[in-house]
Amino acid sequence: MNRRLVLLGLLAAALVALPAFAGPYALSVATLILYFAYAGQAWNVMMGFAGQLSLGHSLYVGVGAYTAGALYFHFGIGPWAGLWVAIAACVAFALVIGFLAFRFGISGVYFALLTIAFAEFTRIGFDHLAWTGGPGGMFLRVEQRETWDLANFRGPPAMYYYTMLALAAGAFALCAALVRSRAGYYWQAIRENEEAAQALGINTFRWKMLAVAISAAMTAVSGVFFAFYYNNLFPEQIFHISRSIEIILGPIIGGLGTLFGPILGAAVLTLLSDGVTELLAALGIETPGIKQVFYGLLLLVVVMFLPHGIWPPIARRLRL
Amino acid sequence: MTQRITRRTFNRAAAAAGALAAFAPFGIVRAQAQKLRVGVLLPRSGIQGFIGQSCQKGADLAPEVIREMLGVEIELMNADTESNVDVARTRAERLIQEGAHVLVGPFDSGAAAAIAQVAEQRGIPFIINIAAAPQITEQGYKFVFRNFQTAIDIVRNGLDLIGELFQVTNTVPRTAVFMHVNDTFGQAMAKGIGATLPQRTHLPFRIVETISYDPAAKDLTVEVSKAKGTNADFLLLVCRLNDAIILRREMVKQRWQPMGIISPGSPGMYEEQYFKTLGKLSEYSISNVPWYNPNAKLTKIVEKAFLKRNPNDKLVYHGLNVGFTFEAILVAADAFKRAKSTDPKTLADAIRQTNITEKMTLGGPIKFNAKGQVEGIGSACVQNLDMLPKVVLPRAAAEAKPVFPVPGYRKA
Repeated sequence: MNRRLVLLGLLAAALVALPAFAGPYALSVATLILYFAYAGQAWNVMMGFAGQLSLGHSLYVGVGAYTAGALYFHFGIGPWAGLWVAIAACVAFALVIGFLAFRFGISGVYFALLTIAFAEFTRIGFDHLAWTGGPGGMFLRVEQRETWDLANFRGPPAMYYYTMLALAAGAFALCAALVRSRAGYYWQAIRENEEAAQALGINTFRWKMLAVAISAAMTAVSGVFFAFYYNNLFPEQIFHISRSIEIILGPIIGGLGTLFGPILGAAVLTLLSDGVTELLAALGIETPGIKQVFYGLLLLVVVMFLPHGIWPPIARRLRL
Repeated sequence: MTQRITRRTFNRAAAAAGALAAFAPFGIVRAQAQKLRVGVLLPRSGIQGFIGQSCQKGADLAPEVIREMLGVEIELMNADTESNVDVARTRAERLIQEGAHVLVGPFDSGAAAAIAQVAEQRGIPFIINIAAAPQITEQGYKFVFRNFQTAIDIVRNGLDLIGELFQVTNTVPRTAVFMHVNDTFGQAMAKGIGATLPQRTHLPFRIVETISYDPAAKDLTVEVSKAKGTNADFLLLVCRLNDAIILRREMVKQRWQPMGIISPGSPGMYEEQYFKTLGKLSEYSISNVPWYNPNAKLTKIVEKAFLKRNPNDKLVYHGLNVGFTFEAILVAADAFKRAKSTDPKTLADAIRQTNITEKMTLGGPIKFNAKGQVEGIGSACVQNLDMLPKVVLPRAAAEAKPVFPVPGYRKA
């Protein structure tokens, strides 16, 4: 336990101090890592803890981003107020999906298909919604980038970095608490054997709905961050299945159902992606698409040799 | 074999190192003043990879052509945005960190908006080659410039050229059936046409039916049959490449022969694959798109450089992408020449004063308005004739006379 706390403290200190040493490029990569770590943690609640495979988490990123973005764009409502509306909207979506699936016994790959379908038809819906700019996109005005304006979430890159750091740390703490709570144990029981869990008297419908709702609420927050970090939203980009895949790759590579897995996975994937780019540039290789080949091969190696993710063997080695 | 270091060789080496150290700063200053480092961000892989690579051809030939034209040295720093907005942002940061004085790219509005924020934050000029979302230059940015039409300009110019085509060919089609892909681009174009067409009172036709379809459709039998059933005089089409090929084949199969197929501003029908796949059936299709002036002096120079680098290719199939990417770098080089500095703010001020009259693409001179947008960029009516996309309008740039109504596919 002490060893864990010391390592966590060192990591936290290093991350807090990072902007003092890192240049803007490194800071932007670090923000991206934390973003995927956070979103991966949110997805992990549903799949890693409760065993419900969602391949449509871009739905919650998109709905969260568009809700808070549109409130800011049309009514000048700040992101902190918009955040709650975004969370409510995403939870509503999640409950509808969850109800349809769990009430009618849709599970496994069929549940995954349902989540993709929802993300896809929501994308089409936003493509036709003139209020949010339709396919032409919605652009949020950026008044200033020099000083920290937390109320409107406008400021320099360091502000976004620290916000994402706080969110990732908060998600980690929340998940750590959840996994040791009654809900966490019920979810793990459902994940391992749903029929056995039901036989033990666990109301699986209720607890699965809770997992879906919490995961959606957390992902909504990442959507709000996305909206105010990038300041432009296009349905084609934000609801696309590739965004869902980006979110789930971190926890899968890092270690499904673990607390550090999503963080480590996001870091490895982002650094690997940028590292391969840098390496190829250093070697003077400019063939388009070659990076994706190398990246894919490296992922293949990780999956082959570490099928349970990178974090579990590290945790064993460090006796954590 | 080992070589001993004597005191004499050591002293010589030390003296040489000292001299280098003493003059190095001047060397750096001279190098900085003589060379403009241009960060080129393009989607060379991913879903837009094909277009990104086409744009890259325009960037690759730019240093040589611009050296000849302006006597300016350019160093390209290429980065692949991988058709991903997150990557576009981090690559832009990386290029700036590596010393790019100006950024150019990225053939996508989402990526352009992401890069624009980095450029603005870091105070580095960013010249957009191709990206049509109007909002990008409506944000009050000071370092963002665009030498490309906005989406609404593309539609407006496309529709005006249809009017011109009817005038020149003395034809008065009364009805059109409008078919469009139902993806982001197609929806945006449909919206633009819906808003612009009622204002174009000089256009003699009305749209009798609008039919949207999936760009990934493998079969368009129903859609074409429905369009044929309207008996419209011509087909107004917003397409992409694959669906355009399927649609054209289906039209022949169903023996539907309207007065013509006209795109008011979409890709597909002027692309190499359209000709290769359809052969003679590709003939006479019309696309009204931002294009290059085939008769411009600069086009001839660029074409020569293009063929030197790509001997088995034709500029006409990359004209739009090469033209606007080359011009974006030209804008940067021209500003650098006038500013005599790589200081970003000085460069941005110089870009604002740009007035390039000898250009490759159609339209007026490259002059940025207060928002950083070039106004008056022209479109061309490009018709497929003799198995090549040829400019038929505006007359000043025409390579051939327009053919409308088009002959039947049997005569093609």
